[in-house]
Amino acid sequence: MRSWMLAGIRRAPGPLIGTVVASAAAAALTVAALSVAVADTSVPAGRLAGASVVVAGDTNLVVTVGHGEDARQSLPLPAYPGVPAALAGQLARLPGVAAATGESGFPGGVVRPGEVDLIAVTAKPGVSPGALAGRVRAALHGGRGYTIATGPARGDVADLNAAVERSDGQILGAALIPPIVTISLFVLAATTGLAVNLRRRRFALLRTVGATRGQVRRAILAELAVCGVVGGALGWLPGVALGGLGVHALAAHQMLPAGSAAWRSPWLLLAACGVSVIVAVLSGQIAARRAGRTSPVQALRETNAEGKWPHPVRILLGLGAAGGAGTLMAFTFGQKNPAGQLALALPLLLASMVAVALLGPLLVALVAWLARPFRVVGGPSARLALAAIAAQPRRTASAVIPVALAVALVGSVYFADTSIAHAAAGQARSTVTADRVVSGSGLGPGALRQVQALPGVHAAAGVAPVTVAAADPDLEQVYGEALAGGPLNRVLDLGVTSGSLSALRPGQIAVSSMEAGAGTMGVHVGSRVTVYLPDGTPYRATVSAVYARSLASGDVLLPAAAVAGHTGAGPAFAQILVSGGTAGALTAGHPGWHVASRAAANAAAERAATQNGFANNLILGLVAALAAVALLNTLAVATLERRRTLRLLGRVGATRGQVAAAFGWHVLFVTVTGVAAGAAAGAVTLVAVARAATGTWVPFIPAAPAAGLVIAVAALAGAAVMIPFYAMSRREPALAPG
Amino acid sequence: MLEDVTKRYGRRRGAVAALDRVSLSFAAGSFTAVLGVSGSGKSTLLQCAAGLERPSAGTVRLCGTELTGLSHRRQAVLRRRRVGFVFQDLNLLPELTVAENIALPLRLDHRPAGRAEIELAAARVGLGGDQLRRRPAELSGGQQQRVAIARALITGPEVIFADEPTGALDPHTAVGVLRLLRGAADGTTVVIVTHDPQVTRFCDRAVFLHDGRVDRVLDDPEPAAVARLLHELGERGL
Repeated sequence: MRSWMLAGIRRAPGPLIGTVVASAAAAALTVAALSVAVADTSVPAGRLAGASVVVAGDTNLVVTVGHGEDARQSLPLPAYPGVPAALAGQLARLPGVAAATGESGFPGGVVRPGEVDLIAVTAKPGVSPGALAGRVRAALHGGRGYTIATGPARGDVADLNAAVERSDGQILGAALIPPIVTISLFVLAATTGLAVNLRRRRFALLRTVGATRGQVRRAILAELAVCGVVGGALGWLPGVALGGLGVHALAAHQMLPAGSAAWRSPWLLLAACGVSVIVAVLSGQIAARRAGRTSPVQALRETNAEGKWPHPVRILLGLGAAGGAGTLMAFTFGQKNPAGQLALALPLLLASMVAVALLGPLLVALVAWLARPFRVVGGPSARLALAAIAAQPRRTASAVIPVALAVALVGSVYFADTSIAHAAAGQARSTVTADRVVSGSGLGPGALRQVQALPGVHAAAGVAPVTVAAADPDLEQVYGEALAGGPLNRVLDLGVTSGSLSALRPGQIAVSSMEAGAGTMGVHVGSRVTVYLPDGTPYRATVSAVYARSLASGDVLLPAAAVAGHTGAGPAFAQILVSGGTAGALTAGHPGWHVASRAAANAAAERAATQNGFANNLILGLVAALAAVALLNTLAVATLERRRTLRLLGRVGATRGQVAAAFGWHVLFVTVTGVAAGAAAGAVTLVAVARAATGTWVPFIPAAPAAGLVIAVAALAGAAVMIPFYAMSRREPALAPG
Repeated sequence: MLEDVTKRYGRRRGAVAALDRVSLSFAAGSFTAVLGVSGSGKSTLLQCAAGLERPSAGTVRLCGTELTGLSHRRQAVLRRRRVGFVFQDLNLLPELTVAENIALPLRLDHRPAGRAEIELAAARVGLGGDQLRRRPAELSGGQQQRVAIARALITGPEVIFADEPTGALDPHTAVGVLRLLRGAADGTTVVIVTHDPQVTRFCDRAVFLHDGRVDRVLDDPEPAAVARLLHELGERGL
């Protein structure tokens, strides 16, 4: 690396500090997500610690979905498929086996007679577990349909939830990396763009001395690469710490097995530096290209005359992005299928953010024009601030853009969540139409029959949550309920759109309209469909109803009789819904039963539905952290660059208060413009999500968090401008306090 | 050498012609001052002659090469090998030391910049020792201009363009800097844009610009005569 290229970063790193900070944030978040995605999630063998080899039915569901390379898909099962108890005797006769015993009673264990959850095989002294496992596999004709575990793998067989939780948490960790990188690119593009732009004259001077465009461009990219390496190194340890916290929190929320440990490896340092270098260099491509093209004549001009108006190509691209967002929006609303609408939400958000970012200078000029009346109202300070904004819309736009992105990102993520929770609560509030809801222990099929037999009871249904696996179109877990009794339409109002839900007989299934759509399961009433019960048993059924109100009840309804024995638990209901009869008759002789009125039960369901998901909060936290870094960064760097203005104002006799007010008006302008632009960009996405997930056009935006978001953004913007301002003015004799 | 060079700023009806069909040539090894009141087009003339700005019409030849058709890259290479620049201010990169600033054109050209070579270039403008390790901000204005001259000379250029090189200096320092430039650039063509008649003491020729046109050319100019002419041009402009 040539000394002239990197002298700037070594000796005058000021403008690049923002880039280092932002790339450190990107690196830290990537490291954290990565250390969650590949966390050490092995669980102790527990009860099976004494066994050399553990044999269970295949604890992974493997299904061929469609055709092609990815057709074979697998999913960990939450319940034991079970093995014949007699198998233990067969295995005990194998050479090298000291004992083979069938064991049951694990969580998720089988309840069918003649079957056990698994068989624990202990080896004779001198026989290695690996060799024994080989013999067992041979005895089982290759082991197809079985899980044969030795060593640490025994833990996963001892605790089936571990595998399910692991896949939840690790998928979340891996899924977070692309959005982190994408948002970081946005954040860094604003920061690096500013850092390069502020030093245009330096690059122009290099050009007059004979540097080619390519040399200037490479010098900038080399600087950014160094920033990336430094940022990666700085972000590494905080990222490792954050990853540890993340794994801990996910384990506490049953999204990773208890006792999981974050991946700690020196490779993470390499990953941190790699990500931040890539992000920093990519984000600087446009800025570097533009700096290289700057005419050398600019070095000769006294004023730092950057073009007032953005390049026509930028305007065209911005209009293109806006048009793209419009088209996507029209397309999204035209989609009949809610899942398809949801899939378009993220591209829609990105397109509208790109449009805001590219058209920022035009927006600033427009708002500055609209704000002209404030010149009179606000006095000389406001006049000064507006004149500066109107003279340099591009520079002001670089401060407005991160504000707008923060509002759009945080707002759309948070209020999409509140909209869905609000709609779920609304559905929960009115889904149950039964007079009374019985909960408590001992609510089996017998209890349901007893309730049905009570005088005056004209409808009673047992409800139990159930998780099945279905190809929609990828093999995934689908949450729903198992139902028994009836008539169901007299205890539940699920908004049936086609078919009938008065009863659900074995061989039938009801599917929500969200899950039945063309992009997911693609079924309608009368379709044949296969779902897989918790122990992996396929359930082939005909769709008997499609219903709309799925946010509270889940996406599939199955007859309890078909599910019984395949869930890894006894045939107990969580609730029995009863219409008719009296509360007294229900509780008589059943001390373990708890009877609530419809109103009380629905209120409890509503409360449960409004609780924010932990995963949503995690994503929101990441997005907010990145957005805040971008905002603070860009505004602080932009403010520090206005030192010359500050000095000049002091020299021509402005008081400290007047200059502070001018800077204050500037922040106010930036905040108002940014919040308005961000709200517009976020609203587009939010409406699409609300339409898809809840069927209404109006997203639910509670006033307090909305105000909180605006206040937080304003406070961050104010701090990022006013703190550097006061620090600088302290060093200007003409403006020093006192 | 400029032929029929016109440079207009702006487009259509609001266009301003900063240069209006100017033809000039600078003999090899000559020391020429370009004078004129503010807005007479003298800086534009220098930028066009040096290839920093493309003329709206006409042709410019620099070191025997026609500039108009040259790619940006070739222009850059031509600049760093055969042309030196000295500006009024903002000549030096603040984060580089004096020695690094002097060596910059060589480094950009992927040529080795030996310590001896840099010291020699610095010595020609009266700098040396500890000063080479300093940063530009630690030097006086006159010293900074001398660094700029050393940088312009290090490649052994055929032409040096100077835009108000003494504009920010006191008269005494200015004379010292010009004397250095004249002495150090012996054999090199020098074109200085200025509005200071004292500069012409060192020049073979003085070209007067007015409203974008060559108004007059004086050989072996006398500062007093130059001052009188400039005053006349200024009055005419009013």
